[in-house]
Amino acid sequence: MIRSPVRTLAASVAVSLLALVTSASAVAQTKLTLWSHWADQDSKVAFVTDAVKRFEAKHPGVKVEITWYQKPQLYAALKTALRAHQAPDIFYAENDQTEYIDNGFLYDLSKDLNWSAIEPWAKQAWTFGKGTYGFPLEAWTVELYYNRDLMNKIGVTLPENGELSQAAFLDMVKKAKAAGITPIVQGVGDRPYPGAFLVHEPLLRKLGKADYMKLLKGELSWKDPRVIETLNYVKQIVDAGALPKAYTSIKMGEAHYYFHTNPGGLTFPMGSFYPSRAFNAPDKGGEPPNFPLGLMSFPAMDGGKCNNCKTLAAGGSFVVNAASKNPKLAVALLNEMATPEMGARWVKETLVQTGIKTDMSAIKGEHADYFKRLADASRGIDYFVGLPSQILQGQPKEVFAQVMNTAFPAGLLSVKDATDQMEAAMKAASK
Amino acid sequence: MKRAGAREDAGLRTPWLALSGFLLPALVMYAAFTAYPVARTFWNAFHKVLPNGNETWVGFANLRAILNNDPTFWKAVGNTLAWALVSPVLEVSLGLLLALALYARIPFARFFRIAWFTPVLISYVVVGILWMWIYNYDWGVANELLRLVGLDAWTRPWLGNPATALPALIFVTTWMWTGFNMVVLLAALSSLPSEVLEAAELDNCGWGRKLWFVIVPLVRPTILNLIVLSFIGKMKIFDLVWITTHGGPLWSTETVSTYVYKRAFDWSTFDLGYPSAIAAIWFVFVLAGVLILTSLLRSRERLEF
Amino acid sequence: MNVSAEALYVEPTLRSARRPLAGHIARSLLLILLAGYTAFSAGPFLWLASMSLRTTSEISANHYALPSILHWEKFPAAWFGSSYGTYFLNSLEVVVAAVIVLTLIGAMAAFAFARYRFRMNRVLYFVIFSTIIFPPQITIISLFQVLVDYGLFNSLVGLTLVYIAFQLPLTVYILESFFARVPQDLFDAARMDGYSDGAIFWRVMLPIGLPAIATTVILNFILLWNEFLYAVVLIADDAKRTLPLGIQKFMGDQLEDIGMISTGMMISVIPVVILYVFFSEKLIQGMTAGAVK
Repeated sequence: MIRSPVRTLAASVAVSLLALVTSASAVAQTKLTLWSHWADQDSKVAFVTDAVKRFEAKHPGVKVEITWYQKPQLYAALKTALRAHQAPDIFYAENDQTEYIDNGFLYDLSKDLNWSAIEPWAKQAWTFGKGTYGFPLEAWTVELYYNRDLMNKIGVTLPENGELSQAAFLDMVKKAKAAGITPIVQGVGDRPYPGAFLVHEPLLRKLGKADYMKLLKGELSWKDPRVIETLNYVKQIVDAGALPKAYTSIKMGEAHYYFHTNPGGLTFPMGSFYPSRAFNAPDKGGEPPNFPLGLMSFPAMDGGKCNNCKTLAAGGSFVVNAASKNPKLAVALLNEMATPEMGARWVKETLVQTGIKTDMSAIKGEHADYFKRLADASRGIDYFVGLPSQILQGQPKEVFAQVMNTAFPAGLLSVKDATDQMEAAMKAASK
Repeated sequence: MKRAGAREDAGLRTPWLALSGFLLPALVMYAAFTAYPVARTFWNAFHKVLPNGNETWVGFANLRAILNNDPTFWKAVGNTLAWALVSPVLEVSLGLLLALALYARIPFARFFRIAWFTPVLISYVVVGILWMWIYNYDWGVANELLRLVGLDAWTRPWLGNPATALPALIFVTTWMWTGFNMVVLLAALSSLPSEVLEAAELDNCGWGRKLWFVIVPLVRPTILNLIVLSFIGKMKIFDLVWITTHGGPLWSTETVSTYVYKRAFDWSTFDLGYPSAIAAIWFVFVLAGVLILTSLLRSRERLEF
Repeated sequence: MNVSAEALYVEPTLRSARRPLAGHIARSLLLILLAGYTAFSAGPFLWLASMSLRTTSEISANHYALPSILHWEKFPAAWFGSSYGTYFLNSLEVVVAAVIVLTLIGAMAAFAFARYRFRMNRVLYFVIFSTIIFPPQITIISLFQVLVDYGLFNSLVGLTLVYIAFQLPLTVYILESFFARVPQDLFDAARMDGYSDGAIFWRVMLPIGLPAIATTVILNFILLWNEFLYAVVLIADDAKRTLPLGIQKFMGDQLEDIGMISTGMMISVIPVVILYVFFSEKLIQGMTAGAVK
């Protein structure tokens, strides 16, 4: 009477455990797995999916399984999966993740990838020690987008090169605020770098490339008078109420939406991958039709050493897992994308720059107008390769994200406190 | 209630075979998934633990670095301790007041009891998301209510400001656990012999005096238990912070558990030794805290009688 | 100890019998306060229920309105379209398996501790019981390592095993204190009838202990259903996520689809609500068992 329920109980437990175990075993066929960011950026999804299809056509019997993620979740999944030897063959990475290389998780691509098609500076961004570990598909510059109609509305006319002086820029912010328009839209709810654009672009322009690099490497003090001057200026902008109140919690996608749709903003400092979300269909988070998008420049710093400097960063790249069972096949998949035609296609469809050698002037098509603006904004620019989050490592990187990306632009820290914290972190790291 | 002499009369011989049959599965699970991991964490704490079995002995280096060189650790400890000390006071005293209110014969007591117990059953993930929406600057209930009563100046991004983020989260856990404490205290109150309370009535005691001198001492053991439970619970807290603020802004809601997680699974080195050392230190902290708390609270009880 | 609703009522105090009006006002004031607290306590949950039946655009227009149209179709949409069905089933698999095994081995251990005299009894009991105060961080990192070593990382089986060990102390504690209170005569009678120890367990202890066992089953179900930290570390694949992870994933998406997230959250809350509605007394007793001396 009591016995049979017990037996069936035991049996069901055994069966369910068995089912769990067997369902986990994979089916045999050559399979490549690819994990990538960009889950909500349609144009990039289309690009990669298309390249994969062509690859599968060329290699019958090989199936590629793509999983699309949002970046924070992707990074979290990879960190544990890599340690557990369950990471995919190919995955998205950025060149600030040197820990992958330090722990031998990445396959060296220097011999197998089609490097002749890649820009030298892009290859350099992924070269560490003797190997090159990433395929720099995406590259982007730090831009300042703005709404042309709203700019007219507050009565500000930009000069030809889209660059205002420090005073004029601050004045523009105040005018927008008075008119009830958010002067600078930004959100750092889910990213450790976009808030810092407002800090490091002026710093770059004031210090010039060489000293700016020294600052990030810990060779120049954060208490340097030029640094303090620049940060004081940024503080003025912050104190004028330039950023949204919910700045610390607005997510990147939400910030895009805030700028171009609701409630709308005057300017939006963003990487040039802005079109990846903004040019989606409106109901998928894209701009409303005929949105008056403009491109301007960060303010020209008084006594700035390099007012035509701009940050260029290697963006989303693909790397191959060192523990992959089919590394050569994986690289073959990447080579499918590493051609001039695919480079041109990338630029045309995603409207973001690329590390592949591409003739930008040959791009025509649907968004030619935007391209012209981007080309105009890029004239005579001197590029500095690398974001602070890509150059700083360890504790300073964490402090930079908390202080310069989040707290200082949010108006929560004084210039003194912010620079104290950066100095302390840089000193501690150099020990 | 004392056991009905169970073990003493169990039998003339200890049936080892049956006994081990009953105990072994539980002990095996315990050994494999609790005891061994705890030991291994301590072992990790003295090593640098990199992937692919790469483990190097570092002695006390991790511990020294944590205690001397890690401001984030101390910030996390401060936040967690603040939480673990403030919450029990709030939750238990509010729970007591509510229990007394229900006890004083309110209609619909049963309905209230069920309604107030609900927050405890909802997952921290759901609670976190709901409260993130409640604290939303533009349309969240918190700010909307303030605007409704004209206190516009008091609206702020509650979870985005280091000064208000932790108090805001403490408010959430109080919201969750007060109901639980209320229910427990109610059960304790109901088990009090009614003669004592009636005697207090006849003596014409004031409401406050009755509370302090009669009722509270009688439910003291339960109150102490709840305080300790609440303390332990807040020392462990992870889910709520992870979902809402992720430890920010500026580490104002960083707790030891979120910091351990970040160092282990989110940091740019793959070293598991350092976070294991943090966990080991914290383990000692928690044990010490519980011991101190219970002995502090218990000793006073003994003095009374 | 059974606490019925009637036992909560106390005779009206003599004071208010002397001044009925004051007593009345005081009582009404109290009721208002309590009603306010109830709104505060249950409000967010009711708001969630309301939002789960509205579309995101309706919510964005007015965050606090009641649903004008009841969008029941959102539930199947969330279940099939947004994978909440997968997450639900994963959670169900893991939690049911864990609770079954946990109850079984917990009851066996509790029986041994409660009814047998042997030298290591109290020591072992204390060892298992004391792990209730351990913070999870002390085991999470090494559990990750252990599961990886045994190839159980990122598997529902691995998570199930961890959950069993995780809830064992509480289960043993609750069952042991109940089992120990059962009168010895029942066991003596069974022994005289020639029952073996195993038979005593199955035929005497379990049926009698059913109330306490039911309590621990419900309690464990709810606690494991909501468990987040272990799941977030030990599961990486999207297809294997449990519900709390699934909900967290949607929070990470760029444009917050409040309507869909609400529906997903309701899906995760409904089993708990059902258990609560039917078993509120049991549940409350169970959860208070440890706290009331």
